[in-house]
Amino acid sequence: MNKNKTYPGYFAAGALIIYFVFFFLPGLIGVGYSFTDWSAYSDQLHYVGFENFKTVFSSDENYMKIITNTLSFTFITTVLKNVIGLILALLLTKSIKLLNMHRGIVFMPSVLSTLIIGMIFKSILDPKAGLLNSFFRSVGLEVLAKKWLVSSELAFGSVMAVDIWRGVGYIMTILIAGILSISSDYYEAAAIDGAGGWQKFRYITFPLILPTLATTTVLNVIYGLKVFDMVYALTNGGPGKATTEVLYTAVFKKFGTGQYAIGTALSSVMFVIMIFVGIYMIRIMTRNEVVE
Amino acid sequence: MKKSLVASFLSLTMILGMLSGCGQPAATASAPAPAADEATAEEAPAAEETTEAADANEDVTITFMASQDWIQDAEMELGEKFTEETGIKVDYQIVPSDQYESLLMTKINSGECTDIFGGQSSKFSIVTQFDVEKNAVDLSGESWAGNVEPAAAEELSAGGKLYGQPIQDVSACWAVAYNIKMFDELGLSIPTNYKEFCDVCEKIKAAGIIPIYECVSDGWHHVCWTEAAVAATKADPGYPDALNENKATFEGNKELTTMFSQLKEMADKGYMGDNYMSNQYADAPASIASGEYAMVLYNQGLGAEVNAADPSFDADNIGYFVNPLCDNQALNVNYCGPSRFIFSGSKNIDAAKKYLEFMASDESLAYMTENVGKFNQLPYTNAPSAYSKVVQDFYDRYPEKIAVFQASVKYYNPAWMDIGADMSAMFLGEMTPDEVLKDIDKLRAEQAAAASDPAWK
Repeated sequence: MNKNKTYPGYFAAGALIIYFVFFFLPGLIGVGYSFTDWSAYSDQLHYVGFENFKTVFSSDENYMKIITNTLSFTFITTVLKNVIGLILALLLTKSIKLLNMHRGIVFMPSVLSTLIIGMIFKSILDPKAGLLNSFFRSVGLEVLAKKWLVSSELAFGSVMAVDIWRGVGYIMTILIAGILSISSDYYEAAAIDGAGGWQKFRYITFPLILPTLATTTVLNVIYGLKVFDMVYALTNGGPGKATTEVLYTAVFKKFGTGQYAIGTALSSVMFVIMIFVGIYMIRIMTRNEVVE
Repeated sequence: MKKSLVASFLSLTMILGMLSGCGQPAATASAPAPAADEATAEEAPAAEETTEAADANEDVTITFMASQDWIQDAEMELGEKFTEETGIKVDYQIVPSDQYESLLMTKINSGECTDIFGGQSSKFSIVTQFDVEKNAVDLSGESWAGNVEPAAAEELSAGGKLYGQPIQDVSACWAVAYNIKMFDELGLSIPTNYKEFCDVCEKIKAAGIIPIYECVSDGWHHVCWTEAAVAATKADPGYPDALNENKATFEGNKELTTMFSQLKEMADKGYMGDNYMSNQYADAPASIASGEYAMVLYNQGLGAEVNAADPSFDADNIGYFVNPLCDNQALNVNYCGPSRFIFSGSKNIDAAKKYLEFMASDESLAYMTENVGKFNQLPYTNAPSAYSKVVQDFYDRYPEKIAVFQASVKYYNPAWMDIGADMSAMFLGEMTPDEVLKDIDKLRAEQAAAASDPAWK
């Protein structure tokens, strides 16, 4: 078989047409609408230039806070999910009792509905009768009983913590697959050379799972930038004006109030951010990639 | 050769299957196009319609989406009876109140709303927010339409046509409900101004009881305190009209500034306890029944609800006085309230109309009045009256009635949840009362601009 044989370009035509019509074109139209005054209150559509973008970046509005919240959420949850996921993956690839049960328990939150998790945690984190504060009070740690979801200082952290709890099992599972694919020969050779646990991790495991970590990072970043249901169920953007508001809850609310143009402008801004973040991230993550 | 024949045959079958699948809706498309539906319904001979409906009803399920607390257990019980009688099933979709408005508007604006949707009535916002002339079905010709109280019908009408059906008792208003026995034991009397109200709260607090049950997390209840804005109307009866003509603003209004400042003060002084940001509206009756709280801003059905939560608590042990912010002593009346609308894009308009007709029947209205504590007088001429002495005393005590901003000021009701978020920020110290008022002006201007309101040009 001739390995150099390439398929003709028109083989890709079907996929390209479908992608163009159902993905690219709607996106382009969406960006186009962000330059209009499209709203539910009027049948008329007028070109307004960069008016909606001026609103998005205006200091009188809180859209910049919403964009910052989204980026913070993405960065913090990505880092912590990867770090905690990696630690758990390393622990759960050792020979320990009931290994699969442990893996199953950590993975379980990932298969539950985010909305249901949100509802459950709303109850757990209730300051008065929630499970967490009741526990703290029962063991004499009253000082740790906080207003987790209703204080401006703690709400965002609480939302991120619940999201990390939910998503870490999924990341762990991917990383376990990555770790298990590393040949045991490397570890045996390293052991003969007198390498300790940390050195094995630093010089064998970590470089060889970098491609897997790149995958988990991409997955986390995409999820983080598009996060909606967790925030919606836990705080709906509150307490206050926009303490935990993220881009998609804001877009949802703008569409809900019929202010489509500003909603599409917000989406367009995030689209541009996603492109830059995506290109930069893939470059960084693949730069030192080690091929086994 | 054989293989390719089989493949060709299978491909042909698949294509035909797909085409027939695509063709399916066209076969049924003769039914329910939104606008055509009414005309078809009117033109069709009655006998034929009945026979067809009887057959069709077997499979008809109408969907009804509403905010939490808008659909009572009694209504769902009636819904079961309706299904028994007509064969039409009703799928109730009850949405948490803090998420309802966004969800409803998204569904309406995307053209994918439920057959019946719940929405707040108001002659202004049903046009600016719901665009009922486009999104709802004209109900003027329905048999029950003439029974709706004129004041309530006005808030559900646009261009002389009735578009909605009231769900709740709109004679009830948001007033401070209090534990009568507790007041007697502490030697307290009904306050007649804000200072007296604070004195009452201080005495209750000193007795180790939290004075007011407030629930900010629902997103809407704490905004009900702003109905004390009737004080601004009393100070200047032309103020609502000036707001509607864009000749006045919320920012800088003396009464409104006082109202928000007093609310913030109540929270800061601990009159609402520690958990007012996370409390939930649904827990209010139980919280009052437990004696942990003395008062709550509520409608005139709290007594029955507290009694339901704790049968040892007498329903008549709950009294009412008007919201005393800004020293208000007028009854804050609002003939607007949650109402049922039929979505114009529904494929089950006839079935939805039958449901509305069933709910407005003498029997259904009597059943709702008997079984829902806060329903004393539903706004229909054929509905029974069931005011208790305590409630009647309350209405008699305040002869002066002033319409609340929800009913008298344009673009106020649609901004309700946003105002709630601003107030929540005010309680957290992120916004000042002046900033909240300024933001209300901004929210109204945004709505007005989107609606191309000439007064804002």
